[in-house]
Order: sequence, then structure tokens, then C-alpha cells
Amino acid sequence: MAAITTTRAGVAGAPVERTPFLLQVSMMAWRTLITNIRVPGVILPPLIISGFFLLVYNSTLSGAANFFLRGQSYLGFILPLSVVSAALSGASVAGQSIVRDIENGYFDKLMLTPVNRAALLLGPMIAGAILLAMQTLVVVAMALLLGLQPETGALGLLAVIGIALLLGVGFSGFTVGIALRTGNAAATSGASFLFFPLSFLTATFVPYDLLTGWIQTAAFVNPITYILDAMRTILNIGWDGEIILRGVGSCLALGIVLFIWAYTGLRARTKRK
Amino acid sequence: MSSGEIRAENLIKRYGEFTAVDGVSFSVKSGEIFGFLGPNGAGKSTTVKMLTTLALPTAGRGLVGGYDVMTQAGDVRRIAGVALQEIGLDNLMKSTELLTIQGQLFGMTRRQAQDRAAELLALVKLTEFTDRPVGKYSGGMRRRLDLAMALVHQPEILFLDEPTTGLDPASRRDIWAEVRRLNRDFGMTIFLTTQYLEEADELADRIAIIDRAQIRVEGQPAELKAALGSESINVTFREDLDVQRAQDQVVEMFDRVQIDRKTIRLYRNKAAEIIPAVVNRLSGAGLEPVALTLTTPTLDDVFLQVTGARFEEDAKDEAPKAGGRPGRRGFGQRKSA
Repeated sequence: MAAITTTRAGVAGAPVERTPFLLQVSMMAWRTLITNIRVPGVILPPLIISGFFLLVYNSTLSGAANFFLRGQSYLGFILPLSVVSAALSGASVAGQSIVRDIENGYFDKLMLTPVNRAALLLGPMIAGAILLAMQTLVVVAMALLLGLQPETGALGLLAVIGIALLLGVGFSGFTVGIALRTGNAAATSGASFLFFPLSFLTATFVPYDLLTGWIQTAAFVNPITYILDAMRTILNIGWDGEIILRGVGSCLALGIVLFIWAYTGLRARTKRK
Repeated sequence: MSSGEIRAENLIKRYGEFTAVDGVSFSVKSGEIFGFLGPNGAGKSTTVKMLTTLALPTAGRGLVGGYDVMTQAGDVRRIAGVALQEIGLDNLMKSTELLTIQGQLFGMTRRQAQDRAAELLALVKLTEFTDRPVGKYSGGMRRRLDLAMALVHQPEILFLDEPTTGLDPASRRDIWAEVRRLNRDFGMTIFLTTQYLEEADELADRIAIIDRAQIRVEGQPAELKAALGSESINVTFREDLDVQRAQDQVVEMFDRVQIDRKTIRLYRNKAAEIIPAVVNRLSGAGLEPVALTLTTPTLDDVFLQVTGARFEEDAKDEAPKAGGRPGRRGFGQRKSA
């Protein structure tokens, strides 16, 4: 009798035909994608902002930057900032999608199905990553039109996009965590403002070495500093293993911490009270 | 093995100091339509949430189709369909997309889920609206789609939490027809909460009346009404004072007298036969009624009897009355909020 009860209670590996986990994740990602594409207001602003940064910084600062770049391309120096800002702002898609589901009650409806709880988290994050990759591609294409000639060629551009993707997915964990904890759209979009200290308290406009005082301290602890450095090195100097590793490592560290933040948020949200 | 039964055994739900559901017990037989009737805030939705695994009971036990809602939540979700009071639809998606995802999450292949979606859309008469995002649907259409969502996995037991609140009369009748059909054609057990007496009377085989977190009475509507036994003569006056005087005049002629604002309700068997005598007594005392009606008992009377308050009244100008309880201010006002 006890044995029977155990199998029944062990619904995690239920006797029912269950949808494979990856299919669940892709279904959740797919619906996040189509709903976001149906509201261009979600995708367009980050894209416009990133393109705007690239254009404005490139035309206003490129002359002044000659003294520290010593002949390197300012476009190659400033593109990573645009890419990073596209990644950080694009990362809010996942959080916004989840908070929308919570607010319109669809999240509860999903909770009444045998859906794997982790799919509710990963689906929107993957959809966010796909949108973000598309945004990054557009920004990179713009830079190419403006005359960017990366030292490491097409492979370098791919590497930059890859790092941006890693950063974006990681950072989406932050917005998702806020969305799940608050269930509130205003709080979730407010949380995206963390984007500002992250992308400005760093070697935003000049190299790290030229920063002084408190802002240098801030840049030192800000993982974005190392990510920008890796991207800039790839575009303007070449394959420098150590710098790139530090950049990728920073993405991963940030991503892991924020994923844990998101996952504990999911646990709190889906726990029956 | 599951059955279509639902059992609540002393279910309790507390949120901090507040007790939303206070020791609720009932049982619903397989294939029955059970009406869970009560005013806003009585504890209906909380009970549904506990039985459908969305909320954890503080104490007590809930069995749905033989599965324990606390330890066998997955099984409960598999055999029960739920349409909550707050409709849970993604407004940016289309009906077929929503139903297909729902079906796939319940283990159907994409093809099966699409077929099921088409079947259900026909069932709730939404086939011609599949191109429109759900956000553009009317209230009635959204309710019907939400109902279809609850039916995707062919549940044996269906929970409907206030399925017609906020709907116009025509949409309400559509939902009623649908509920009856599901029950008749598929033998589905249906647990329906409502704040409309008429709805419970119309649909339910049996009802329980919940008020202020506790069940006050349970039974078949006809049986509950019959238990009141008597018809009533309802006489309305212009002044509260007249009501008191009228009571003094006629109280001895009746089994039971209840005063409800400016109306006095006089209960006894075959009340119709003594209307002339009542009128004589009243006019002899110089009392002039503004209205006089004869009613057979309704669920509203049942509610009045078990809770001491009228279901849909505006409690603000509620007159003090025998057996009435103080402090029931205005719950009827939020009726259709």
C-alpha cells in the first residue's frame, strides 16, 4: 500500500505521458517570442537606443579619442558599449513577459498544468536571448556600415555577439527574479535601471587606465569593465586569451549569480502558500 | 483509479490573523453539479484554490477524484479542469495557440492538441474568431475560451469559480447551457461557485451555502426550500413603525414572522387561504400596506433563514430584526463588483 502511494505521490516522474522537458521549454520560448513580436514597442526602443548611442558617440567623441586610442578605431572602442547596452536593455524582455503572465492570470493557468516549473523560467529567458541576438546583430551591422574593420574579422564579430548574448541571458535572470518576486510590471521595468550604474560606472568612454578616484574603484568591481575590455580587445587589437577569458568569466559569474536569484524567485512564486 | 468525487474534510485556510475558510466539509458525488453559493468574500474562491492545488490548506483534507490535494497535486491537476474567477488568458495570443500549448503541456502531440483545440473552439462557439487575438474578445467570449482551456485534457471534474460574474444575461445563459451539456453528455462532475441564487437554483443538483468562512447549510435546492415548509405573505409598509404594529396584529396567525426593512414576511402552510383575514386585521388596525405579495420559498429565503440576512440586500438600511445579526454591513452591495 505504501508503495502505491509513493508512486502516485511521485508525480515528478509521473506515470502519465509527459511532454519532454526541452519541448516544454521551446514551447514557452516560442510563445514569448510571438507575443513580443506582436508588440513592437517591446523590441524597438532598446534597438533604437543602442543605435543612437553608436551614432552619437562615434560622431561626437571619435576626434577627441585619438589621444588615447593611438590610431585604433574609435568605432571598435565604442561598439562594445552599444552592444552591452543592447544586451542589458534587451534582457528586460524575459522579465516583462513573465510579469505580464502573472498580471493577466495566465501564469496561474500554466501552474494548473503539469508544466515543468523550470520551463516557465527558461522559456522566456531563451526567447529574450534570441531577440537580443537579433538586436546585437543589427547594431553590429550598423557599425559595419559606419566603416568598422575588426582586427579579428568575422570571427571576432561573432565572438563579440556571443559575449553579448552570454551577458544578456545572465542579466535577464535579474529582471526575471524581480518579476517573479514582485509580480509587478512597474517594479520590473524599474529594475532595468540597474543597467545605468552597470554600463556607466565603468570604462564607458575612455579606457580603464584613464579613470581616477572613486569611478576607478567602481569600474574595478563592475563586471562590465572586463566584458567591455574583452570586446574592445577583440575588435581593435586581436585575440588576447587572458583578457577574453576574464570577460567571458565575468559574464558567467554575473550570469550564475543572477540565475540563482531568478531560480529562487521561481521557487518562491510557485510554492503553494 | 480515480472517481469523479470531491470531498472536503474540515478544510481551514488562514492568512495571518484572517480566517478565509473555517472548517469547511462537504462531499460532491460523481456526475453531480454542486453549487457553492455565497456572497463576496465568503470563502468560495479560497476553497476552490485549495481544492485545485493553487493554495495549500492550513488544516484539513481535500480529496479530488480520490487524490489528496496536498500530497498528490499532480494527479489532481491531471483529472480536474479549472476555470478561475480571474480569467487567465494571454491577450496577445490567439485561441488556437493557447489551446494547443495547453494540450501539449498535458502530454498531447502537437497534432492531437491542434485537433482538440478545433473541437473545443467549436464546442464553445468560437471557431470563427480564431484569427483575432484574445485581447480583442468580449467578456463572454473570454469566459467561453477560458472554459475551453479548462476542458483541454478532458477532465473528469470541472471547477468553475463564478463562471458568469460580470456577464450579460445572454452570455450567462450560454454558459449555463454549456455547463448542463458537459454534465449530461460527459458525466462530468461540476463544482460551481456562484454569488447568484438564481444560478445555483437553475444549475445545481445540490448546493452548499457558505457565509463568513463557514458552510451554513447543504442539500438539494428543492429540499432546502421545502424544509422552510411554508409559503409567505409579504406585506410592505411605508414606515418602519407600521411594520412593528402589523407584527403585533398578525403574529399569532403564523408559524414564523420575519421583518426585513419595511417588509414583514409571514410564514405558514397554505398562507394564500388566510390573506383575507390578514388584510382585515391590518385595515382594522388602520394600517395601509403599500404592497402585498405571496411567495413560495426561494433560495434567498433559505439563505435568510440560515444566515439571518437577506442575500442581496443593501444592509445599510437594514432594520434590526429578530434573529438578525448585527455587523453585516453592505455585503450585498458588492454583488456584481
